[in-house]
Amino acid sequence: MTKENIVEKVDEFLIDDFEVAEEALVPDANLKDALDLDSLDFVDLVVAVESNFGVKLTGEDFVNIHTLQNFYDLIERKLA
Amino acid sequence: MQDKKAVKQKFALVTGGSRGIGRAICIQLAKDSEYNILINYYSNKTAAKETLKSVEEAGGHGELMPFNVTDAENVKSTLDTWHEANPNAIIEVIVNNAGITQDGMFMWMKAEDWSKVIDTSLNGFFNVTNHLIQKLLVNKYGRIINMVSVSGLKGTPGQTNYSAAKGAVIGATKALAQEVAKRNVTVNAVAPGFISTDMTQDLDEKELKKMIPANRFGTAEEVAHLVSFLASEKSGYITGDIININGGIYS
Repeated sequence: MTKENIVEKVDEFLIDDFEVAEEALVPDANLKDALDLDSLDFVDLVVAVESNFGVKLTGEDFVNIHTLQNFYDLIERKLA
Repeated sequence: MQDKKAVKQKFALVTGGSRGIGRAICIQLAKDSEYNILINYYSNKTAAKETLKSVEEAGGHGELMPFNVTDAENVKSTLDTWHEANPNAIIEVIVNNAGITQDGMFMWMKAEDWSKVIDTSLNGFFNVTNHLIQKLLVNKYGRIINMVSVSGLKGTPGQTNYSAAKGAVIGATKALAQEVAKRNVTVNAVAPGFISTDMTQDLDEKELKKMIPANRFGTAEEVAHLVSFLASEKSGYITGDIININGGIYS
């Protein structure tokens, strides 16, 4: 899967399932603030990543994930 | 994507469901709710089977689920295997009821008796609830009910271990309730006083009931009615609370 595919898929479920506005999806957007995801929403992110990419994220995976770019990179690393 | 349309089969898990209050809860949930009952037990299979029989006689469905709540690996592997075999099932109600007593004066208490009691009530709560909570959060609905005791609130001499374990679960109940409330998952504790069960059969009921305003021990069924209400949708705005059921002995 290319980086573009990952970005596309992530953006898609953030818009559809997390009600994030499309214009808010810029790489340096802060997941928590700009995208308005509270700490419990991360549970749904884990589920969305698992069903879209087949990889399981843990709490530890999110330790240094602040921006949307960090999140794309995390999934890329997990798929590598 | 997950098939969101698939109808989920709903389950209620009662730890320590083979006897006493746990058994009464299994039966009451079978009577009052649509939940399938997962009857957890550790050692007493005969008693657990009797509970299952009563659940079925009450018109409910149930299955036995043996595991040792103190053994995190055992809890995890049992629940994971069960989830794999039942992909459309969701455990929506968790009743953390498994508990033991090892009473004795603190002065003479063995470290082993201290740890065993803490392990069952407190670590048992952690092992089971921690493993299941993510599914409740994704489900955006759940009921967690922790069976504690008046001992955890007022302290009971001769039961420093039991009082400590139950007191700790009360703290966890309050904290966890605030963490997960937004997701429609409620967490409450029920604190019984003297209830007639196997656990209290050696107590001198005649003497003890003099200090209970209601002048009697409670029944496991009375406790089960309260738990059944907390397990229902109707209790949705009650969370982080410790509800006494003790005939007026402490409030």
